[in-house]
Amino acid sequence: MTTTDISNTDAPAARGGSAAPVPSSRRGSAGRRTGSLRGGAAPYAFIAPFYVLYVLFMIIPILAALVLSLTEWVGLGMPRFIGLSNYANLATDSSFATALANSLVYTLVAVIIVVPCALLIAQGLNAKGLRMRDLFRVAFFVPMVLSPIVIALIYSLIFDRDYGLLNASLDALFGLPHVDWLGDPTLAKGAIGFVLLWRTVGYLTIFFLAALQNVPAEQYEAAALDGAGRVRTFLAVTVPGIKPISAFVIVTSFIGAAQLFDEPYLLTKGGPGEATISVAMFIYRAAFERQQFGYAAAAGVVLFIIVFAVSQGLNRLLGIGRDS
Amino acid sequence: MAAGTALTGALSACGSGDTTEITSGTVALDFWTHDDGYIKFFEGAVPVAEKGSPFDYDLRVTKIAAADLVTKLIAQAVAGTGTPDVAGLEIGAFSRMLRGEIAPELLVDLTHDVEPFTDDLISARLTPFSKDGALYALDSDTPVTVLYHRADEFERLGIDADFGTWEDFADVGRTLAEKKGLSLGAFAVNDPGGTVQCFHIHLLQRGGDLFDADGAPTLQSPEAEETLAFLVDGVQSGFLTTVADMYGPSIQSGLKAGKILAVNMPSWYSSYGIQPNVPEQSGKWRVAALPVFAGGGHRTGVGGGTGFAALTDKPATAAARNLVVKGYLDPDQQIARYKDLGYLPTLRSVYDAPELLTLESEYFGGQKLFETFRDIVDDVPDVHQSADISIMNTVLSGHVLRAFKGTVSPAQALADATEDFRGQAKG
Repeated sequence: MTTTDISNTDAPAARGGSAAPVPSSRRGSAGRRTGSLRGGAAPYAFIAPFYVLYVLFMIIPILAALVLSLTEWVGLGMPRFIGLSNYANLATDSSFATALANSLVYTLVAVIIVVPCALLIAQGLNAKGLRMRDLFRVAFFVPMVLSPIVIALIYSLIFDRDYGLLNASLDALFGLPHVDWLGDPTLAKGAIGFVLLWRTVGYLTIFFLAALQNVPAEQYEAAALDGAGRVRTFLAVTVPGIKPISAFVIVTSFIGAAQLFDEPYLLTKGGPGEATISVAMFIYRAAFERQQFGYAAAAGVVLFIIVFAVSQGLNRLLGIGRDS
Repeated sequence: MAAGTALTGALSACGSGDTTEITSGTVALDFWTHDDGYIKFFEGAVPVAEKGSPFDYDLRVTKIAAADLVTKLIAQAVAGTGTPDVAGLEIGAFSRMLRGEIAPELLVDLTHDVEPFTDDLISARLTPFSKDGALYALDSDTPVTVLYHRADEFERLGIDADFGTWEDFADVGRTLAEKKGLSLGAFAVNDPGGTVQCFHIHLLQRGGDLFDADGAPTLQSPEAEETLAFLVDGVQSGFLTTVADMYGPSIQSGLKAGKILAVNMPSWYSSYGIQPNVPEQSGKWRVAALPVFAGGGHRTGVGGGTGFAALTDKPATAAARNLVVKGYLDPDQQIARYKDLGYLPTLRSVYDAPELLTLESEYFGGQKLFETFRDIVDDVPDVHQSADISIMNTVLSGHVLRAFKGTVSPAQALADATEDFRGQAKG
């Protein structure tokens, strides 16, 4: 399409309107320039910043990561093209398999434990007649505001085997022997799952609370008139009423947990051994501790594909973006 | 690949500055280190470096965590600007510089600078910072391992710090653990690097190493198996206690409570582990040479180190090189480094300096520590570096812990670690 074509389509006649004849002197080059700016480059000029930024900061990094994943690069000098070798190595790397399995555990904790807990807390905070409601809200939300480094410091003090608050309490109350919370592979995963729960549940609670407050009161009154109990009311009124928010919370929780880095990195350094390493930590380690940038990029691409595929599945399952 | 290359090229092109070499006059030298001690040391070394040289130094210091220092250094190199002129590279982080051509591209080869000192320099401290015969950094220390021990408790319990062999040490330790609940050593278990270091310092003393000269893993050796078996026995019988790491509250509580009566750690641990954690126990600690392994090996192990390097192809490269070489190879500076920072000299002749031999340590009850260090320094083992030490730390720490729990035998743990290492080192 040429500039002239666009200016013609913009002409009143072309739009089906009746137009007064235009003097030939005004259909000269000046008129053509005005038409060109309005109908040709102008719209593109207005939207160009978005596309330039989109290409610069979204498309190019993604393409660079994809290209990098096909190379061997130590971070300096020229990358060496090695085809799909990084992906083949990932397929047989026991460390990556461990990281994937751990990330799966963290996502299950986030979706199966954290989300329901957040909903229950929100339900509690939404109860009529609750005193000090704002204090509870702040208390639940504060962990999300705290720096992960502070959280890791606090919990390393709590979970420490020899002098930790948890073991000291268990010893004092029940005479239990000291447990190596961060040194045992299974318990360490549990400890990280607990910290994940502690940190994120308050944040998600805020979403649920907002959703609960938007459920029409008439529906609860109708349910009460029908003689529905608390559980029945929750399942028949509350859950459908907050479905859009629930879907959003579940998908974002999944994505956040799949990319979990702070807790295992700060609390256990991925240990003991590799018992708590996540995929995000695997990527960081490959790039910034081992100078294997191509390998790290390949792991990042795999993580992206998994997160994208599962998120799409969850979107369909939860009906996100569909009209009810 | 084209996109990646283009990206790298574009980044590199951004920072081209003036590359004219500075041959004299005032030099603003960007200096990166992870340790306050080195800042003071190099500030003190400036007059020495200026003497007989055409340079007047203006040090511009940046303090940055050891691992981040290398990350930032490489990132700035890719950007083509903002690299330092002198960088202190902690030995664990330096291994990353060995990957590909990073070290040759970024660091000055100091091989010719140390040639006049060849006979005097402790060669074991050159290998960790060398690659393909080129030396890229000068080590700040000869970090020999020794037995720190509570002399007052040893005396009370009737224990002689001269154990003879590790096997004798284990016999005493088992009894002590069983009857008194006390330990004669500690082993870090929550920090992969710390776990491997605890194993490595014993392994080096036994005559083994994690890698050979070509960087291949050497875990499946009789020395490694014997060393791990000894440590597993120690942990399981209690004469070695496990702690989160060798620096934090975990070991501090053990030391303060008098539950840990000895530790086998490098010479710098006095300044970074013992004294900061238990300052109130001043006068009660002593340093002794380690027991030896009956099966052979060395009188000491070695652990840690920091190499100082000059960055290549920069205007101030010659000045940086001069500062590093004079600061680190001047005998008086080596004496000053020990006095100020506790880092042992890398020049053998300095171990005979009366100034050090007569030096008494107040914290260690007036002991002349240098007599012990001089006795063992000639038997300090070589350490072979590998770009894959990070992978080794990860896989080996996990399998060592499995051996401690009794899940697998020491031999199996080392075989599994070797297999895992080879699997991961492909990436």
